[in-house]
Amino acid sequence: MSVAVAERSAAPPQHALRPVISFHGVSKVYPNGTEALRDVDLAIHQGDFCFLVGPSGAGKSTLVRLLIRDEAPSTGRIFIDGQEVSRMSHRKLPKLRRKFGIVFQDYKLLTRRTVAQNVAFALQVTRPGQRHMREKVEEVLWIVGLEDKLDKFPDELSGGEQQRVAIARALVHRPRIFLADEPTGNLDPDTSWGIVQLLLQINHRGTTVLMATHNREVVDLVRRRVIAIDNGRVVRDEAEGSYLREGTATL
Amino acid sequence: MRQVLASLWFALHSAGQNFRRNLGVSLAGVFTMGLIIFLVGGSLLFTHSVDTVLQGQEQNASHLKIYLSDNASLAAITNFESRLKHDPRVISVTFETKDQAQQQASQNPSIKSALAVLGSNPLPASLNLDVRKLTYLSQFNAEAKAMPIVDSTTPTDYNSDVIGKLNTVITVIEWVGAIIAIILLTISIVIIMNTIRTAVYSRRTEIEIMKLVGATDWFVRWPFILEGMLGGLLAAIFSGAVVFGAYRLFVQAAQGNLLSVPFDTRYTITLLIVLLVGGVAVGAFGSFLGVRRFLSA
Repeated sequence: MSVAVAERSAAPPQHALRPVISFHGVSKVYPNGTEALRDVDLAIHQGDFCFLVGPSGAGKSTLVRLLIRDEAPSTGRIFIDGQEVSRMSHRKLPKLRRKFGIVFQDYKLLTRRTVAQNVAFALQVTRPGQRHMREKVEEVLWIVGLEDKLDKFPDELSGGEQQRVAIARALVHRPRIFLADEPTGNLDPDTSWGIVQLLLQINHRGTTVLMATHNREVVDLVRRRVIAIDNGRVVRDEAEGSYLREGTATL
Repeated sequence: MRQVLASLWFALHSAGQNFRRNLGVSLAGVFTMGLIIFLVGGSLLFTHSVDTVLQGQEQNASHLKIYLSDNASLAAITNFESRLKHDPRVISVTFETKDQAQQQASQNPSIKSALAVLGSNPLPASLNLDVRKLTYLSQFNAEAKAMPIVDSTTPTDYNSDVIGKLNTVITVIEWVGAIIAIILLTISIVIIMNTIRTAVYSRRTEIEIMKLVGATDWFVRWPFILEGMLGGLLAAIFSGAVVFGAYRLFVQAAQGNLLSVPFDTRYTITLLIVLLVGGVAVGAFGSFLGVRRFLSA
């Protein structure tokens, strides 16, 4: 790894009494009969950094989709910031989604907008008319290390840089929770490590981070909380875990 | 207030920008809408013109002569005439004496010579009716037959064949016009919806991102609706101009062919306004439907 490991937070996260994310007996069965999640119980506190690991089709992405209410659970209850979202009306979803910053494996950037415009887009959409928009965009691009690429288009950037733009866009409205669904899936190991360091920095500033990943090296190096999902069930939840169960070849 | 203005600016700016950036798809949409607006406008103007011509023909044909018996008393005739004058189906009634009938007929030289050979005037006096609708003619024909003062051998000049045919032509043209308009309208809604859906589909990532960062449904919708309205307006302006030009040419050509089609300015202006409003409304509605499926989650 060419990049140094990000500095860990000196103090352990200050857990509020109420978790920022909690799942109570959540199951998700799709209309075609696929059981994506079974009876999941989870509690994630403000300032936590969690890896969500498991093989493809284990239910990681379903869990992320349930969090942002892109899907509703079949049974069970989900709370974000103490507010039940499992039965939330369609009208209230925009406000819920503003609590999250989300990045995906495929970046989802607008190719005809510049880096700065891509980031500003999130502010224009959620807080139209906000003052000092340019400064906010520049600040967040400085955080992700792209302060000199403001006027570039996504196609002119490397994969790692594009993912940084996506991270900047997800951060610019100062979300409470940062969700990363396979953010390093398309990146080489060095670039992946840079992205993970950035997520650790974001977490260091107090944002809760939940990262779904296949990247074994990263999980094993960072040694943070690991929630392993297999076949729709949470099979392991360790405070400082590795990708596989210690001393075994299984999750 | 600042937020509302900023949202409005964002919607207008995005609509214009998207229209320009996706010029190919946008123009395809405008062309499709324009073609349909042209067909709707054209068929409406054509039906209106045919209707105007037929109404003229109908008025010309809405005459009936009720021939009076030579034995009819003047009092009975006056009585019958006054009753007809007060009938709401009747526009006007005039009394034609035997002499007037002879004078009228004598304008034709062969009839004039025939009358001279006869020595007396065999032509009957008549009541000449103008009625409001062609269909009333058969009713008056039947009523006249029952009157004792009416000539029993030839009660009226009613020609059921011609009248019936003219009636059929008018009904058929009205029905064909209505059916064409309904078909065009249905086709237009389906085509416009699909064109806009294609345009919206090419921007699904943008919609997805907007939803992910927490945009409200209306915030996502407005740029697309404004873009649809802009497309509809452009389509209506272009096709309206073409319809207007084509109508002028049609009226001129028709007059050259002895068919009197008047240039109906009031109808044309109303139609152009309807096409503009309709184009904008259909563009907005098509976009609303097109973007709906992307907002369902």
